[in-house]
Amino acid sequence: MAFVQNLPFICILLSLFTGPLSSILSGKMTKKLNLVMITAVGIMSAMVLAFTVKSGEAYTYMMGHFPAPWGNEIRVGVLEALLATVFSVIMLLCIVGGSKEREEELESTKQNLYYIMANLLFCSLLALIYTNDIFTAYVFVEINTISACGLIMIRQNGRTIEASMRYMIMSLLGSGLLLLGICFLYDLTGHLLMSNIKEQVQILAATGEYQIPLLVCITLMTVGLAIKSALYPFHTWLPDAYGYSTMSSSAILSSLVSKGYIILLIKIYYRVIGIDVIRASKITNVLFVFGLVGMVMGSVNAIKENNIRRMIAYSSVAQIGYIYMGLGLGSEIGVIASVFHILSHAASKALLFVAASGITRASGKNKDFASLTGAGFRNRLAGIAFTIGSLSMVGFPTFAGFISKFWFAQAAFENANHTKTMLALIVLIISTVLNALYFMKTVIRIYTPAPALAKEKNYQNITVRGQAPKSFAMICFVAMNFMLGMCSDPIMKLIQSGLEMFG
Amino acid sequence: MGIWILLPIILPIVTGMYLLISSFLKHLKSTESELKTADGSLKPVVLLTLIVSVAAAFYASWTGDKSITLFYLMKDIPICFKVDAVAALFVTVVSIVWLLVGFYAFPYMSHEGEEKRYFGFYLVVYGVLMGLNFSGNLVTLYLFYELMTVTSMPMVLHNGSREAIMAALKYLFYSMCGAYMALFGIFVLNKYCDTLAFVAGGSLNTVLAQGNETIILIAVMAMLIGFGVKAGMLPLHAWLPAAHPVAPAPASAVLSSIIVKGGVLAIVRVVYYVVGADVIRGTWVQYAWLILSLLTVFMGSMLAYREPVFKKRLAYSTVSQVSYILFGLAVLTPAGITGALLHVVFHAFIKCTLFLTAGIFIFQCGKSRVDELEGIGKCMPKTLWCYTFAALALIGIPPASGFISKWYLAQGAFDSQIGILGWGGIVVLLLSALLTAGYLLPITMKGFFTEKKTEELEFEKGEPPMAMLMPLMILAFLAMILGVLPSGMIDYAAQIAATIL
Amino acid sequence: MNAIIMLVVVLLPILAGIPIPVLPFKNRKQLMCYVEGVTILTSVLVLVMLLNRPTDSLVLFQFTEEMILEFHLDGLGMVFAGMVAVLWPLAILYSFEYMKHEKHEEVFFMFYTITYGITLGVALSGDIVTMYVFFEMLSLVTLPLIMHTLTREAIHASRTYFYYMIGGAACAFMGMIFVLNYGGSAFVMGGTLDLAKAGENVNLLLVGYVMCFCGFGVKTAMWPCSSWLPKAGVAPTPVTALLHAVAVVKTGAFATMRVTYYTFGTEFLKGTWAQEFLMILIIFTIVYGCSRGVKETHLKRRLAWSTVSNLSYILFGVILMTPAGLVGALSHMIFHAAMKICLFFCAGAVIYKTGRNYVYELDGFGRKMPCVFTCFTLSGLALMGLPGMCGFISKWNLAQAAVESGTVLSYVGIVALLISALLTALYIMPVSVRAFFPGKGFDYEKISDVEDPNWMICVPLVLLVIVIFYFGLHSQPIIDAFAAVASGM
Repeated sequence: MAFVQNLPFICILLSLFTGPLSSILSGKMTKKLNLVMITAVGIMSAMVLAFTVKSGEAYTYMMGHFPAPWGNEIRVGVLEALLATVFSVIMLLCIVGGSKEREEELESTKQNLYYIMANLLFCSLLALIYTNDIFTAYVFVEINTISACGLIMIRQNGRTIEASMRYMIMSLLGSGLLLLGICFLYDLTGHLLMSNIKEQVQILAATGEYQIPLLVCITLMTVGLAIKSALYPFHTWLPDAYGYSTMSSSAILSSLVSKGYIILLIKIYYRVIGIDVIRASKITNVLFVFGLVGMVMGSVNAIKENNIRRMIAYSSVAQIGYIYMGLGLGSEIGVIASVFHILSHAASKALLFVAASGITRASGKNKDFASLTGAGFRNRLAGIAFTIGSLSMVGFPTFAGFISKFWFAQAAFENANHTKTMLALIVLIISTVLNALYFMKTVIRIYTPAPALAKEKNYQNITVRGQAPKSFAMICFVAMNFMLGMCSDPIMKLIQSGLEMFG
Repeated sequence: MGIWILLPIILPIVTGMYLLISSFLKHLKSTESELKTADGSLKPVVLLTLIVSVAAAFYASWTGDKSITLFYLMKDIPICFKVDAVAALFVTVVSIVWLLVGFYAFPYMSHEGEEKRYFGFYLVVYGVLMGLNFSGNLVTLYLFYELMTVTSMPMVLHNGSREAIMAALKYLFYSMCGAYMALFGIFVLNKYCDTLAFVAGGSLNTVLAQGNETIILIAVMAMLIGFGVKAGMLPLHAWLPAAHPVAPAPASAVLSSIIVKGGVLAIVRVVYYVVGADVIRGTWVQYAWLILSLLTVFMGSMLAYREPVFKKRLAYSTVSQVSYILFGLAVLTPAGITGALLHVVFHAFIKCTLFLTAGIFIFQCGKSRVDELEGIGKCMPKTLWCYTFAALALIGIPPASGFISKWYLAQGAFDSQIGILGWGGIVVLLLSALLTAGYLLPITMKGFFTEKKTEELEFEKGEPPMAMLMPLMILAFLAMILGVLPSGMIDYAAQIAATIL
Repeated sequence: MNAIIMLVVVLLPILAGIPIPVLPFKNRKQLMCYVEGVTILTSVLVLVMLLNRPTDSLVLFQFTEEMILEFHLDGLGMVFAGMVAVLWPLAILYSFEYMKHEKHEEVFFMFYTITYGITLGVALSGDIVTMYVFFEMLSLVTLPLIMHTLTREAIHASRTYFYYMIGGAACAFMGMIFVLNYGGSAFVMGGTLDLAKAGENVNLLLVGYVMCFCGFGVKTAMWPCSSWLPKAGVAPTPVTALLHAVAVVKTGAFATMRVTYYTFGTEFLKGTWAQEFLMILIIFTIVYGCSRGVKETHLKRRLAWSTVSNLSYILFGVILMTPAGLVGALSHMIFHAAMKICLFFCAGAVIYKTGRNYVYELDGFGRKMPCVFTCFTLSGLALMGLPGMCGFISKWNLAQAAVESGTVLSYVGIVALLISALLTALYIMPVSVRAFFPGKGFDYEKISDVEDPNWMICVPLVLLVIVIFYFGLHSQPIIDAFAAVASGM
């Protein structure tokens, strides 16, 4: 067994221990430690990716010395490695981009608490990606929830506390449902390791026994994870959570946390239940419908917003709707499109949050649209970054969003059920227009010069150098976006081969 | 030798444009007082142009068949001119009237003002009309038809009053509407006829036309109504009573006597030289045409009878009379065509005379309403006699010319196989003749025979100057003499009718 | 000729335009020379390219396996590129004088020049994906031009504009997916659909076609997406004239031609419900645009509604789906560009010189601005279809194509064309008549401040009128060229 194969485990451990380690160090040190750790994880994941691509197959890694089916396992394939790499990069950039905000908004005593939470979050994310055991998945889901709550709450004002309460309640509800489903599954199959569960489920499906319990299982797990990942109509916690916490938290939450749960869901579908059973149970239709509704309602609510952060948060609801729609189409292309959209949305949404914070900084930290008029001239880089992010959301060619839209349309097209095809296409069109409505309105607003306003409210101009970490983050995100938009073929191939190995 | 065709078209247009541009530039540069001084060179320039053009036109028409193709507008569609019997007839009438009214207009327009502009447009319209009459195919006809509308409109709005501008715009839009309806027909006929050039008897391709009769008939009807707008036929006649009276009298004269005949010429060309009479004989198109023209005849006369303003009365009379011509064309028989063509000539001279008289009344005495003309015969007997001769001719009392044309019209209606409409037509013609008497004769009666004494009359001046009286008398003379010695004309018209049916 | 010239022609204006705001121009004249120089150079290159047509395609970039960005010059592209190349320098010349009174000229000319490059990119697109990409970029890069005056009205108009454009592009995108799946993406006369693959999904394909057509048709202001065009009239006149009479809207018409003749193919589409449905929409737009124009009193908006109607003439020719129809559409595309630009330039000259925007304020202007109003009247007559000017020729060709088709709807279309011509007379002629004949007793002292603009505005006007007459009297060569394109050059 090559040394490289140990790396995923090392990654998880590293991020897990950096957490407690941070508690004894001072604020500045923890930040540096954090960054170093994430970078290291990123590099290691890239190495794993190269390895798995070269070897062409996934491998399972025993945790501890207990073999399956009694011990714990992680499974590493192309898809997992890819996701780990990309998530580390995004995490790194989010933390870097939001550093100034954290210094200003958080109390100094809480600074390293932040990094602890972030580390734990990162660790649980990696674990969710790699795990092959369903109960372990549940454990890390809980850790994820708690650390996410911590991230929201760390900026203490009334709004965030309320938001994190709401988040906690909804999330725990979701976790509860997930746990119930896991229990049922354990009852039905007697296993906790995913591959073993799958074998048993196949047998059950073949014999036709326990059909209804199995369906209930699938439903419970799906609904649980759907609540946690803010599928409409379970999204109500999202705007407050993303809208009021500190910038890097919003970015991390929207790009990574909700996606982690979706990846877990995909994993359950492929590796636990088996995609054929899922398709037969028609739960994909339900996901499809909710996805469509989410796409439209998310955007509709975004149009009504007057606060830029909340607007971007509602946009996330819409984008998550896209992902569920892709899943709901039921075909392999649909899932590939969804995974690609996870990556592209992570990049775009994080970019938008970082750019938005740059814009609001240049407008006296106000988030309402009236103050933002002309911000594009006060903070040029943030303005351009925001425009690029918006164009990507709308699906402009050469940006990542265009490729996502293309693959979703393609997936819709290949569906045998023509009603589904037409519905998906029409809602895609409507959603594009709605996205344009609120994003382009904002872009036009920030590029409408308002020198009188700026002078009156004494808004400062912000140069590229003046916000160095943020500029760095923005430029990297823009580069990612372009890369995904222009050179998406290799990534699609990676995802495709990863999915084949996934099940 | 096609140059003789082009000369009467181009020379007046060029001269007219020159007059217009120099008038415009003068307005741009000079002050109000400078504008008042008349330009002495105007009269000779205009008259010379007219005489030369008329001479060339006569030469072109009456010395052998000629044609000339200017250039190809599109593939298979040339702009070409051709002289045939119909063209010669129309050209002659137009030229005579235009020349005479030109002489009349000088003293008249000196009282209206802006002579240069008026004569500029006058010449341009003459050139365009020559182009219209000499047209060799439907597209050339359409081109000059549209140009005729655009260039005659400024003559209508000459005096610049709000009423005139409104009337001119109404004229423009009605004419455009008609032109576009006709264009629809041209589009369709381009496909179904062998050629759009004028061929006696029409050139419809019966093989192609099979199965598509409906659209061809619709196209022909559209062309009839469209070109009929200029001729004042129902249903799009409302511009005529608004536009003709508001123009200066010489302009009204040519509008009513010549420009309406442009529409008639177009209809003749379409029905007899492009489509062919047999295509519409007995169809709903013919019946609709007959009914519309008869209704117009009657309605025009009725409205004229009740109209108190003199020029407007004459305008309604035009509406009525031109539909006589259209009726004659609609019956599709040789006698009908003969009568129609004769009436084209006669009505031109007659109506011109009548309008010139109205102009004299306004010019000399400032009277424009019929009830103000009582006793005018005592002041200007020669004028009123000319008027009377013309009126008699119009009513159709032998031996005046109008009688001949009406006789042939009736004959044509009788000959045709349209049954009850033929009889109805004759009845309407008779009724209209009565009404015509009713609206024309009272002026003569009241003008000559009045109980008022000479001193009570309020007319300031007597007979008009010779320049105005001479044309009047020539036209009245023509109106009478052509009735006394009609045979040459009748033969000519009958010959045309024979070739096209 | 080497295919690389296609890339040069597209990139030159873009790359030369981007640095305009930062280049050190000492005065306005230097800026003028630079911009006009770049434009003329590009136009010359385009004309050279048209004369020595490069026969190869040039692949630029590959998005994914199926989506390739490539340039290829065929007959239709030549016509469009030629039209754009001839009209752009004239428009730049006009806008120099015009923009004297506006601010932020550098930014304006930057975007104006970039738009030139992107429009050429659309013309040179070798397949539907490339055309879509440049199409979207065109929407984006014209947005700042509409927003230029930064008034509340302008911002509102630019928002409306962009929403419509994105919506249209999204629709077209969906249609494009159909094409990519059921055929090839390249442009081949007669279409690239693999009907065997489509099998029973004919109706689905037709829906895709309708989506594609309507999506690209938003740029041509087909009903119900017409209102953005009059709203965009708030932009400076060089923008409205060039973009909304030529570049942006004709791009939409060009795209529909590509979609109908070169992608889906007329054999497949002719006689289907899709054709009838679209024909009805188009015929309605023809009459609707003109009716709104009659009621409108703001001069530029009136001309904008006229554009809405005239664009549907072109679409009418396209939707007839015969070579004759394509010839008619192409001829109206070119001739209308000349006529409409001339009309907009005249309107712009009036606004620029006198600040009057509404038709009822123009009484008597004919005597004071003779050059402008003569050109206005002549272009208006051409638009109405007076024989001897180019408008008649394109109407004739469209009508001939419709008569050839012989269906009831095509005859209704001819009637709609003629009704529209009459309504055109109704909204053009009163302006001219009142300008030249304001009525007795009109006090010319009231408008003593009115005078003709200088040569930079008048020369383009006169040139355009000459073009109108030239094509009216000597149209056969260019019509033959169109016929060659329509038969598959």
